[in-house]
Amino acid sequence: MTLLRTSGLRAGYGPVTVLHDLELEVNEGEIVVILGANGAGKTTTMRAVSGTIGRQGTVELNGTDITKMSPDNIVRQGVAQVPQGRGTFPELSVEDNLRAGAITRRDGMSKIAADMERWYQQFPRLAERRGQRAGSLSGGEQQMLAIARALMSRPKLLLCDEPSLGLAPLITQELFGVIERLNKEEGLSVLLVEQNANLAMHMASRVYLLETGRIVAQGSAAELSADDAIRKAYLGF
Amino acid sequence: MELFLQRLFDGLSQGSVYSLIALGLVIIYRGTGHLNFAQGEMALFCTYVVYQCGEWGLPIGVSVIIGMGVGFALGAATEVTLIRPVAKKSAFAVFIVTLGLFQFLNWLDGAIWSDQPLPNSGVGSNQQSFPSLFPNKPDDFINVFGAAIKLQSIGVFLLVLVLFGLLYLLFNYTKLGLAMNAVASNPESAKLVGIRTNMVLMVSWGLAAAIGALGGVVFAGINSNVNLGLMFTVFIYASAAATLGGFDSPGGAVLGGLIIGVIENMAAGYAEEWVGQELKVGVALVVILVVLLVKPSGLFGTAKVERV
Repeated sequence: MTLLRTSGLRAGYGPVTVLHDLELEVNEGEIVVILGANGAGKTTTMRAVSGTIGRQGTVELNGTDITKMSPDNIVRQGVAQVPQGRGTFPELSVEDNLRAGAITRRDGMSKIAADMERWYQQFPRLAERRGQRAGSLSGGEQQMLAIARALMSRPKLLLCDEPSLGLAPLITQELFGVIERLNKEEGLSVLLVEQNANLAMHMASRVYLLETGRIVAQGSAAELSADDAIRKAYLGF
Repeated sequence: MELFLQRLFDGLSQGSVYSLIALGLVIIYRGTGHLNFAQGEMALFCTYVVYQCGEWGLPIGVSVIIGMGVGFALGAATEVTLIRPVAKKSAFAVFIVTLGLFQFLNWLDGAIWSDQPLPNSGVGSNQQSFPSLFPNKPDDFINVFGAAIKLQSIGVFLLVLVLFGLLYLLFNYTKLGLAMNAVASNPESAKLVGIRTNMVLMVSWGLAAAIGALGGVVFAGINSNVNLGLMFTVFIYASAAATLGGFDSPGGAVLGGLIIGVIENMAAGYAEEWVGQELKVGVALVVILVVLLVKPSGLFGTAKVERV
């Protein structure tokens, strides 16, 4: 089942078009990774899907056209984005950040509280700091908080914008481990953009290669790493 | 001692008015980072509306609710039609728009009602004086350690405390409050968790204007009339109150307002020789300057914490 499909997706900033006719698909239960260098349009892709910038073409979720929807309604359709640079609410406590993540939910306080406990167990460091302001957390902790906050909305599709940015390799590994586990155990579908190809490819069901706003290659992780040119350019060996 | 207590309570009730206007400033500032220069004039417009309701024979309790309702609508409409279109451009544009609104509303009040203090039998008012929310006849006072404290002063003070309590509950225990805090902290991320930020900003402006309306009515009640210049100094004091308390802290706004009210009355009373009634407004200026020099984030404002 196709969960997300974009066709002819164009987006940019003011007069500048960054994405040119992007065709993407994420099937249910997949982890799809978009690889690209700086300025390839990775973050723009994420924004175009989550509706935070203007876009043309179509974006469909579960067969519903969400191209014209506002970002808050797209969240209500089951898409949660972990923005680049974490994007937590620095003045709010860890707990309020998580509560804000669940703000679209209508299924009652007890279920929300149960989910919160669950992410506290998943990320014990957040549990220790639940009363602390998010702005005072370390980079890795903030990234964990951003992911937990996104998951609080119980999304069908999680968008992750360079979660490894500015994090130590060990922390990145831990984070990717969590994402992989959620995917395996809960069937969470993930669309993830990364520069850090090695770690991301490892868990990808499929990979797209993005260059200056166009998809130049796609396939399974194994297929792409078999291509010499791609391996040299993106994997560095 | 009696004189001291009297000045203290006079200061507290005056300060309560500053607190109400400052609360409005803070609610808008938290949401958008804008200082609403028209805050006082929005309140004044609503105060005239309450006067008009009184002319039509409505009891003050009902009039106040109508006035606050009008305030909410006025604030919300201002955000949608005037602020939102220019906010994208620059903060300076918003500043100019609120200044323009300040002038326009003041002109509008004069055009609809009168440039004379109202009620005024000369222009055919039915009311004797501006209706007060609390008993304010000459003998409506209680004795505290020999000082005669007006029931009105106590009433106003309690009103502000109750209102602050309600706002505290709003900000800390409701979804709307959480959404307002989130938008204040990071508007981009607020959208990404599904918060309807436009709605939140509209409600914030509405709420700020409604609270301001209450401040205007209370002050007109203390003053016994409403006039075009009623909110000029109040706005300046309220800005000082918000600066003192911290521009993003509702609790700070309330406390700041009360402190400024008390300082103002004490300074005018005790340092009569060199402050007196004429130079009272200077006190606000001194407070703003000192706070900005010593602790720019105010008593309870959040100095930005961020680890990168």
